[in-house]
Amino acid sequence: MLEVRSIAKRYGDVLALTDLTVDVGERSCLVLLGRNGAGKTTALRCMAGVLAPSAGTVRVDGIDAASEPAAVRARVGLMPELPGLYERMSARAYLDYFGAIYEMAPDVRKRRIDELLDLFELTDAGDRWLGTFSKGMRQKVALIRATLHRPRLVLADEPTSALDPDSARRAWAYLKDLQAHGCALVICTHNMEEAEHLGASDGGDAAIGIMSAGRALAIGNMSSLRARSGLPVRSEMRELPTLQDIYLAVISNHSGNHQHELAESRSA
Amino acid sequence: MSWLNLDRRKAQLVAARDLRDAISELRLILAMVGLTIAIPLACAIGVRGLALYGGGTSVVNRLSVVGAFFVVFIPASFSLVLALESFVGERERTTLEVLISTPLKEAEIYAGKVAAVLAISLTLCYGGLAVYCLAVFPGLGYFPLDVLIALALSTICQVAAMVAGAVIISLNARTMRAANVMASFIILPMSVALQTEAALILLGRTEFLWGFAGLMLALAAILLRMGLNGFSREALLARDSGLHRPLQRAANALRASFQRRPGILRLLWWRRTALLVAAVGLPAGAAAGYVAGITGAIPAPVVRPALSTLIAAAGGGSQLDQALAIISHNLLAILLVAPLALITAGLSGFLLTFLPGFLLGFAASQSSWSIALTGIVPNGLVEIPVAIIAGGLALQIGAATIHMEASGGWTARVLAAGADYVRALRWLVPALIVAAVLEVRFG
Repeated sequence: MLEVRSIAKRYGDVLALTDLTVDVGERSCLVLLGRNGAGKTTALRCMAGVLAPSAGTVRVDGIDAASEPAAVRARVGLMPELPGLYERMSARAYLDYFGAIYEMAPDVRKRRIDELLDLFELTDAGDRWLGTFSKGMRQKVALIRATLHRPRLVLADEPTSALDPDSARRAWAYLKDLQAHGCALVICTHNMEEAEHLGASDGGDAAIGIMSAGRALAIGNMSSLRARSGLPVRSEMRELPTLQDIYLAVISNHSGNHQHELAESRSA
Repeated sequence: MSWLNLDRRKAQLVAARDLRDAISELRLILAMVGLTIAIPLACAIGVRGLALYGGGTSVVNRLSVVGAFFVVFIPASFSLVLALESFVGERERTTLEVLISTPLKEAEIYAGKVAAVLAISLTLCYGGLAVYCLAVFPGLGYFPLDVLIALALSTICQVAAMVAGAVIISLNARTMRAANVMASFIILPMSVALQTEAALILLGRTEFLWGFAGLMLALAAILLRMGLNGFSREALLARDSGLHRPLQRAANALRASFQRRPGILRLLWWRRTALLVAAVGLPAGAAAGYVAGITGAIPAPVVRPALSTLIAAAGGGSQLDQALAIISHNLLAILLVAPLALITAGLSGFLLTFLPGFLLGFAASQSSWSIALTGIVPNGLVEIPVAIIAGGLALQIGAATIHMEASGGWTARVLAAGADYVRALRWLVPALIVAAVLEVRFG
């Protein structure tokens, strides 16, 4: 799905990215880790056909990003770190606008927008201006926008950084569902727990890339990275449930009771 | 990037969103009402009041046209704010980054945004003008249709020029604060243009106003083309990096512009087209000057002072004093031409040969070609090639200034053209000294 061969990107005197080679197949996932300024965002922009690499090639679904960048962008869903929403537009109108840009038929995009707003519990807020949305709600809208057109490749920069654990779990479940339907994922994150969790998915075959100063220092699945690290492999006993498990259980119990109360009050 | 591969439907999508966004702002709606109704009506009341209470006919007539200028001027200047908000504001809020990550082509985004700003600004301009005309001219016994059409045309061009200027700013400014500072580079020349237009209106010569509208049209076309060529994903995203140590970077760029430049002969060969254009300026100017002289299109008393000043510039005194006066006069001309080329799109380079040619032709029309040519021989044999080379290289500076590419490199190209000019001075200045000596000794 995504073939990146020895790409480099130079901004004037600054070499932001150098010699990056990765392959991400259908239903596969690549997690990019790295400090700020490591070149992750530049790598995503090159993979998305937004920036042309100074050297090397990027192919998405067999299409060369240098010769047909618009065709590549049509197949990609890029979610930048900042949501970049129009403040004076409702969520529905905003998503409809991007659906139209991606040439989705009006009835198809309406159905999909309703479905995704419902999935991310934004149906009631759908007609409110985006300027009134919380940080987490904005990130959900950005994720919906990036995936509205069912892209073949999703490139997401910190997709859940502003989400509460429940919403984050929902977002990951949604991304995994897209992946199960043939989509490839490239995710940038600083959250090691999330990265490890993603790395452990796909039967532990998801690739993890560690970047620094524009270079990919190590790429491989979790077990190969463990082996290459030279660090002693050990097991750790953890007391379960974790705080996150407890939080999610409390929230879901509360939501269940709340729904039950709502249903009872409606029937009364 | 070009208009040819532009999907109009997608550009309309962008324009429609920007329009919706603009009219969802209450402050803007209030401004629109004020600009299209309140200010034109206030102007109209002033003019009608003057007509009613004894203003002379010619004064009222002139004032009615100046009022029309005033009514369209304010909304036209408003377009700059709208355009900066549309381009730089979106860049600052990172919404532009999202838009450029879609399959939309740069030309579609650019065209859509420019169309939205033009639509709002021109609606305000023409709405205000219509209200003003309806309130002023019925019953006044005066309706200067030709002046109003010229005014309307130049307004479109001014608005388009300001919008395109804002796009160029957006490529170099990441925040509205920086953009507002840089906007003075548009506001100052535009205010000069508007004052010129106001003076032409007061002069009451419609043909001059049409000429002005034509110039504005050319300026708008140049700036729109620059904006279109420069508005690229690379330019919008790539310049976010590497902006540290600006002074050192500027010094490095300046140093680099002088490196790997060609020798004078190779440079003249490279710039042969620009030199040819500058060379054509001399006979074209001579022909224009001659025609202007014999037809009386420009009265002799208008041109004679210029000729007298040129002769007086040689000064009196010793031969050394005369030579120094001639050298300083010519040197000043070729030193001014290069910086002026930056802001006149190279026109100053063409004028460096055209204007002397014009004066020569005019002098010939008042006497004869042989007498006129005697005045420039033998020094002209050196001065004319110098003027052609300086004019051609200045034209190249202008061409570099108005040429933008998606891959960037504008600064490097302009600096390289400037460096070529500076390096050519090593040959041009001695040549001017030789010309001055020839003029004093044999002229």
